[in-house]
Amino acid sequence: MIPSDHFVRFYNEVFKSLDRKGRVHLVDYWHELGRLQVTELGDRFKTGGLEAAYEYWQRIFLEENCEGEVKLNDDVLELRMHKCPSLSKAMDNDAGAHGLYCDHCMAWVEPVMAHAGLHAVFDMESRTEPHCVMRVTLNKKKAEEFAKHAKLLATPYIPASLPPR
Amino acid sequence: MPTPLRYQDTGEVHLDFHRTTNGTIAYLRQKHGAEFLDDVFRHTAQDVYRSIWDDLKQGDPEQLVTHWTYFTEREKGVYKIEREGNEIRFIVLQCPATTYLRNRGIVVDPEFRRQTITMNQAWSEGTPFEISTKITGEDAYIQTIRRVKL
Repeated sequence: MIPSDHFVRFYNEVFKSLDRKGRVHLVDYWHELGRLQVTELGDRFKTGGLEAAYEYWQRIFLEENCEGEVKLNDDVLELRMHKCPSLSKAMDNDAGAHGLYCDHCMAWVEPVMAHAGLHAVFDMESRTEPHCVMRVTLNKKKAEEFAKHAKLLATPYIPASLPPR
Repeated sequence: MPTPLRYQDTGEVHLDFHRTTNGTIAYLRQKHGAEFLDDVFRHTAQDVYRSIWDDLKQGDPEQLVTHWTYFTEREKGVYKIEREGNEIRFIVLQCPATTYLRNRGIVVDPEFRRQTITMNQAWSEGTPFEISTKITGEDAYIQTIRRVKL
């Protein structure tokens, strides 16, 4: 059994193997992650809106031992990760982290938010440091404004935005 | 004195990662085939858990036994260990992963066990041990480390 604590490191090996086979296979897998997460969260967020997303990430922050803050102000949910446990584990790993590890996060968040009618903007800030900011809003214009100020915007489904393997 | 582990997580346990592992196995099996899936597990066993594999290559199985023990206990699985002659048997009576999936009504992928079977095979390679996996029930299996060379 791969311990649940070590799923991240297994996942990281999945990314590497798929990317070695061809970038298209990695992106196809991201689509699958999105499909699975839409099944799990799509209707919950669609019905419950930002409040439901806030509750979900509050629980995730606790269960996954995240260091950061989840805030819900009016029409914006903000997740500010000071130490992402996921990238931290992928990096604290004798096998080393896959170069696009962070991108998988937006790859599942984007389809969930599209299903729920919400807009997410994910600023990875860096692919090699475990901190980032994600904002979710109902307001498309506000999301576009957030995106303009991102240091390293996650756009996993725009192939040209991804560095080569 | 317990054998030190390369990875020794503490804090909350997010058991839902077993759902994601199950979904990932199903996807890779259907889309890329069993050989590809095995290759990922081999990399996981030998690259991620390089420290365990290095110890095995040196003839020391204790980090692997400690790893199994620590994480089965952490996830509240039920197990016992038997040591006899050149064999160590890690007997899982209640696997936390499949138990979690079943309790949530999630269909366990037919190749879900492959993670354990293939990783144990991969850990055996180039070592004086045979590490085998015998499935004994829905949520039960036995992992046996047998020294076959001095």
